[in-house]
Amino acid sequence: MKPLQLDKVVLSVDGAALFEPLSFSVLPGTVTSLLGPSGSGKSSLLAYLCGILPPAITASGAIRIGDENLGRLPTEKRRLGLLFQDPLLFPHLDVAGNLLFGLSRGGSRAERRRRVDEALASVGLGGFADRDPATLSGGQQARVALLRVLLAEPRALLLDEPFSSLDDDNRERVRKLVFDEAHRRELPTLLVTHDEQDVVAAGGAVINLSGPNADKKE
Amino acid sequence: MLRRPAIVILVAVSAVPTIAGLAAALWFGLDAGAFSRVLGTPGVGLSIASSIWSGSIATVISLMLAHLAVGLAVSGGWRTRLNALTLPLLAMPHLAVGIGLALLLAPSGVLMRLLSPWATGFELPPDWLTVQDPAALSLIAGLVLKETCFLIMALMAALAQVPSARLQLQAQTLGYGPLKSWLTAVAPLLQQQIRLPLAAVLVFGISNVELAIPLGPGLPPTFSVLLWRWFTDANPLIHSQAYAGTLLLLLATAATVVAAMTVSNLARYVLRSSVQGGRRHSDDRFAQGVIKATLILLWTVGVLAIVAIVLRSVSGAWRFPALLPAGDWLSRWNDVLPTAGNTAAITVALATATALVGLALVLPAAEQCRHDARTRATVGAWLFLPLLVPQMTFLFGVQVLLVRMNIDGTFVAVLWSHLLFALPYLWGLLAPARAAIDPRYRQVAATLGAPPSRAWLTVTLPLLARSGLLALALAFSVSIALYLPTLFAGAGRFATAATEAAAAAGSGNLRLASVHALLLAVLPLIAFAGAYASGSWLFRHRQGVPR
Repeated sequence: MKPLQLDKVVLSVDGAALFEPLSFSVLPGTVTSLLGPSGSGKSSLLAYLCGILPPAITASGAIRIGDENLGRLPTEKRRLGLLFQDPLLFPHLDVAGNLLFGLSRGGSRAERRRRVDEALASVGLGGFADRDPATLSGGQQARVALLRVLLAEPRALLLDEPFSSLDDDNRERVRKLVFDEAHRRELPTLLVTHDEQDVVAAGGAVINLSGPNADKKE
Repeated sequence: MLRRPAIVILVAVSAVPTIAGLAAALWFGLDAGAFSRVLGTPGVGLSIASSIWSGSIATVISLMLAHLAVGLAVSGGWRTRLNALTLPLLAMPHLAVGIGLALLLAPSGVLMRLLSPWATGFELPPDWLTVQDPAALSLIAGLVLKETCFLIMALMAALAQVPSARLQLQAQTLGYGPLKSWLTAVAPLLQQQIRLPLAAVLVFGISNVELAIPLGPGLPPTFSVLLWRWFTDANPLIHSQAYAGTLLLLLATAATVVAAMTVSNLARYVLRSSVQGGRRHSDDRFAQGVIKATLILLWTVGVLAIVAIVLRSVSGAWRFPALLPAGDWLSRWNDVLPTAGNTAAITVALATATALVGLALVLPAAEQCRHDARTRATVGAWLFLPLLVPQMTFLFGVQVLLVRMNIDGTFVAVLWSHLLFALPYLWGLLAPARAAIDPRYRQVAATLGAPPSRAWLTVTLPLLARSGLLALALAFSVSIALYLPTLFAGAGRFATAATEAAAAAGSGNLRLASVHALLLAVLPLIAFAGAYASGSWLFRHRQGVPR
């Protein structure tokens, strides 16, 4: 896997920059944490990386995976895995349908289904393939959402506070699962969070987005 | 706007013919000689007055009933039940309701048979004017039955825009009774949201023929029925009179709408001063009972009207006090079946085409303004235009234009005229449903590698399926019910259930009318039942799919 690199990235609203130009790189298998008060633009930064920035926010700067510049690619060609705060499983598909949606192309129908079943079993959800996602617990949904992202074989993992909607027990388990998978697959991972424990568990670099105007504000 | 072509196309499809039709009506209808002939017609003043009277009174009663019903249902927790009671009546075309009520209320009707001879002593139908009465009371009853349901639905849709539960609770904690809380804290906000539907109700009330033909007064008839007779007259001189008359109808309608706006401002003032008095009306159980009873009565009348249609359509001879027809069942059906099959086929074909083309126009436009509530409202207002003008006025103009272009009486022309009336409903249902879908689903799909077209087909469309099916049923039902558009754009070549029912009712043949009215009543019910059933079946194991 190749590192995820940001080069002089700036997001602005109405011409005002949300933070100082940001340059850093996330090495494969490491988790970089992105901290900052709400409104500091940390979620928008993930949206920019994925190419789903709302039109009200403008951006400049380069994003690269290895030597490949992602800036011009449409979202679906960037192959960055994004996990939101909510699992956002497609409600009209069953668990297997959600995972098959994520699973990268190729393989016979039976082959694909086998891979989905294996993935489910690997996170302790064997036999859940035909379930309605709405009947799953929060922790179970979070695990399915992670599998859906991983099966798409992303080149990096972007986490937008994906543990914050879980209760304490589940939070720890899901967090460990996500970080273990990121490590095992050598994915460069960028984590947006409020939670100090997340940062400790991530164990990588920490970037604080306080913004250029942070001092003047309060 | 120009960067969103689907929106431009949608609005153009509706607004261009409507505005062109109005302009043509003004151009060809302005004829001093024809005007003086219209005004010289005996009883024309009374006729116009009767239109305005029936339309206005029915609108006021429907509005009050709808507000009270929604307030009671929402605060009493039986909102879904009110929905379920309203929908079947809403789905019934006006013509079918009119014919059904005529069959129910007539001196020899089902109601009198229910009461005779044991209660009334009548062995023969009494010589009373219970329908087509000069005060237009039966017409008003028919309008109230339909328009209350329409306004209930409009209010329910508006509820989403208003924090009704919190406002109501706030007023109730201050000691106001549930009804007064609703009427003072929530209703005024809802009222703002339903101004367009309310204006449409008033315009329809004044200018409709669908209820006025079977139920309206006879001598003179309401002004719209008078015009309708002139339009269907063979004498071209009478036609020019009808053209001029539609402008008079437009004028009368516009004046009434303006007056109504003034009155509603006045009503708001009265309501406000009644709040400032501080009376709590904290025990309003009696009022609640009265309202519930009225709703049940309305609903029962609606159901009995359908029963009356069914009975009349299958009966041959039907001696007066007998509740059920004797023998000779279905003979009427045997008489009409050969042509009824054809009529049904044309009706269904038109309605299906209207629903599908309408959906194809509305879906891309809804997609293009999913993030833009203001554009959604503007588009909605434009699409509402055909419902805010008397149908006859602009349809007559449309007809003139169609004849000039030599496409009157074609399927496309009739389909287009039906779209004008289906699009506002399709938009009202689908635009908010599309906007309500969480945009992150599509972002998830994109980050998983799905290009926009695939994301739309595999994620957005399924999430929209339930609303889409309902919208199809709604557009289908709207088309089934349309009479004047088929008549004007179809050059008399398209025999649908509505045109046949109206023609039969107009010539006083309620027995023949009942057969077509049955078709009119049944087709929308089938469509809605199908939409609900298929929506529930598709997602029977998916609790999270939006309704």
